[in-house]
Amino acid sequence: MRVVIADDEALLRDGLARLLEDAGFEVVGRCGDAEQLLRMVDKRRPDVAVVDIRMPPNNTDDGLVAAQEIRRRHPGIGALVLSHHLEPHYAMRLLEEVPERAGYLLKERVSDIAVLADALHRIHEGECVVDPTIVSRLVARKRGRGPLDVLTEREREVLALIAEGLSNTAIGERMFLSPKTVEAHISQIFMKLDLRPGPDQHRRVLAVLAYLRAS
Amino acid sequence: MLRVVVWTVALAAAAVTVAIVREDPGDSLAGDSVIGLTAEVAAGLLLMAAALVTRLSGAFRVLAAFAAVAWLLVEWNSPGTGAAFTVGLVLFAAWPPLLAHAALRYRTRSLSRPAIALLALGYVNSLLVLGVGSALFFDPVEQGCLACPVNHLLAAAHPEVVHDLGRVGLSIAAVWSAAFVGLALAGLAHATSTRRRVEMPVVLPATAAVALFGARALHGSTRGFVSNDPTDRRLWPAQVAALALVAAGLLWERLRARRMRGELARLVVELGHSPPPGGLRDRLAETFGDPSLQLLHARDDVSGWLDGDGRPAELPKDPDRHVTRLLAGGRELAALVHRPGLFEDPALAGEVADAALLALEHERLNAIRRNQLESLRASRARIVATADAERRLLERDLHDGAQQCLATVAVGIRLARRQVASGDEGLDAELGAAEEGLREALGELRELAHGLIPSVLAHEGLGPALEALADRSPRLVVREIPAERFAAAVESAAYFVVAESLRRSGDGDVAVSARRDNGRLLIDLETANDSVGSTTDLEDRVGAVGGTLTRTAHQLSVELPCES
Repeated sequence: MRVVIADDEALLRDGLARLLEDAGFEVVGRCGDAEQLLRMVDKRRPDVAVVDIRMPPNNTDDGLVAAQEIRRRHPGIGALVLSHHLEPHYAMRLLEEVPERAGYLLKERVSDIAVLADALHRIHEGECVVDPTIVSRLVARKRGRGPLDVLTEREREVLALIAEGLSNTAIGERMFLSPKTVEAHISQIFMKLDLRPGPDQHRRVLAVLAYLRAS
Repeated sequence: MLRVVVWTVALAAAAVTVAIVREDPGDSLAGDSVIGLTAEVAAGLLLMAAALVTRLSGAFRVLAAFAAVAWLLVEWNSPGTGAAFTVGLVLFAAWPPLLAHAALRYRTRSLSRPAIALLALGYVNSLLVLGVGSALFFDPVEQGCLACPVNHLLAAAHPEVVHDLGRVGLSIAAVWSAAFVGLALAGLAHATSTRRRVEMPVVLPATAAVALFGARALHGSTRGFVSNDPTDRRLWPAQVAALALVAAGLLWERLRARRMRGELARLVVELGHSPPPGGLRDRLAETFGDPSLQLLHARDDVSGWLDGDGRPAELPKDPDRHVTRLLAGGRELAALVHRPGLFEDPALAGEVADAALLALEHERLNAIRRNQLESLRASRARIVATADAERRLLERDLHDGAQQCLATVAVGIRLARRQVASGDEGLDAELGAAEEGLREALGELRELAHGLIPSVLAHEGLGPALEALADRSPRLVVREIPAERFAAAVESAAYFVVAESLRRSGDGDVAVSARRDNGRLLIDLETANDSVGSTTDLEDRVGAVGGTLTRTAHQLSVELPCES
């Protein structure tokens, strides 16, 4: 898989590139700011761009804005945002417009190459990935009435795992359920959230969005 | 005391005049008609009364009082006068320049050069040429007045000199009167309409009286003396009437001022003890019919002015806006900024200051208090803004510095682990533990940075920031949040009130609802227990953006102005 890496910290960028190359990814470009990133993506057409949220010129959310721009311009190219911020709102912003092929992970995952590789593969396959820490925070949250009230406790747990980016098999393993039961739960969730039939991946993404919006 | 003396002089002069005329009506101007005599004396006394009751400048009042007394002396040069005959000879023509002088000083602070020259000519002519000059050479017996009393000023009897002085003096008096009429009418013509309206009731009859005197002087100039021939007697009642009208005009002005004062007093009573801010301005604007009227209050700490809301204000430089200062006890209290001509009557501003003194003081103190509160608020806002800026800087430093470094080290360790010879599981485990520690440190740093000031607050607004807070602290229940953005200071004040209340509320749940309502951001916090403790620092934060904080046992309510 071809990736580009955008991070203004050169040491981190190079270290990450070596880790990804060791894990079998082809790093086709490295850059340190949002403008360079957009040019590089236009030219080299990677499969996924790994983007730090804080980058020059503004050092606020330039990376997130660039990732959104990549998703708009190139529907086939994925974007994984690495962020210091736990807030689901940033993740929402990334997923809202073009919900597939996008991911939002906390910056400390950068050295956890297994998680990173898994996320990149899922994104490449068209899913969306949200950091499990954010999802578990959302689950723990006391909330007023919302669209998720119609779901059972079990269904909500399944939805949380979908949001983390787990496959049906992985969810079954995590919850000690048979794949058939997991599928049953998932179709219940889709029905209750009024998600129209369509490609399964796409509905999974929409379910995640519904979940995030309810927060 | 002075009034008693003045009235004694005036009444004595009047009594003498009555006696003179009654003694020898044939040689008098009033004649033997009781009405004529009464009118003549009454006109003088009325002018005296008017001079005494008016609230105009001292110079005008003195001149008017002198003119009144001088008027009462016009009959004193007739044969029936007795001992006062000499006084009559000298002063019989003194009243016209005095009255002219008074009219020119009516509601004006200074005289023009032509006016001064004209008045000087009038005084010299009346007192020295027609008065003392003639008296020095006038021997009544020599000139055929056998019944006349003794002229105590007589130096040498020269009938031809007396005759020449009379002709010259009366000719000058006629020309002088015409000049005065021209000056007075020109003054009225060039005055603003307000001023003209105020001056006319007094200046016009005074001009008429002087003009009639001029006519009689012209009539007498060929024979060399003023007399009481049929022409004089026909002009005399008009002259009496003109003088009475001067007095009436003054009294009318006084009444008008009193009525205005009454209106002002009523307005002040209506305003009550605590008029709403700017209430006095509105009422003054209404009373004087100038909607653009501004009321500015004098500051007492520094020189300068404040408007009704306590905002610093400047007196206008625009020539179309006039400024009238209101004084109390010699101190500037307030300034009225108004359209030209509104307060050209200087007495009126005094009336306003007198009548509305309490209300003015009240509004002024309120304006000063508001100004002080505002500077206090501004200083609190500056302190809070500085603290927020520091927090933001720290937050950025944590992310860009410490967190980036730690993440880089974590990647480095992971790279190192790949080169550890397989089999050296002890080292690999140690490096793994270090990596885990770094991950925890990164998490803690993230929370620390977020606690300083959540970046989501600046980037996404209050609603998302409160949601993020709820994500971190499950005790916080978000009931209602606004979708829109507010000013940064308002958002951070609102956020910190919620975050701090949550931190201090022990382990009970806190429910928050925030909504925009009518230009205000309302935040209600409900706590399960009453353990929020002191809220002084929260009040400071809220006060810095002009908001209020109220609390009851389980409720904390914050109102922040957020006019966009």
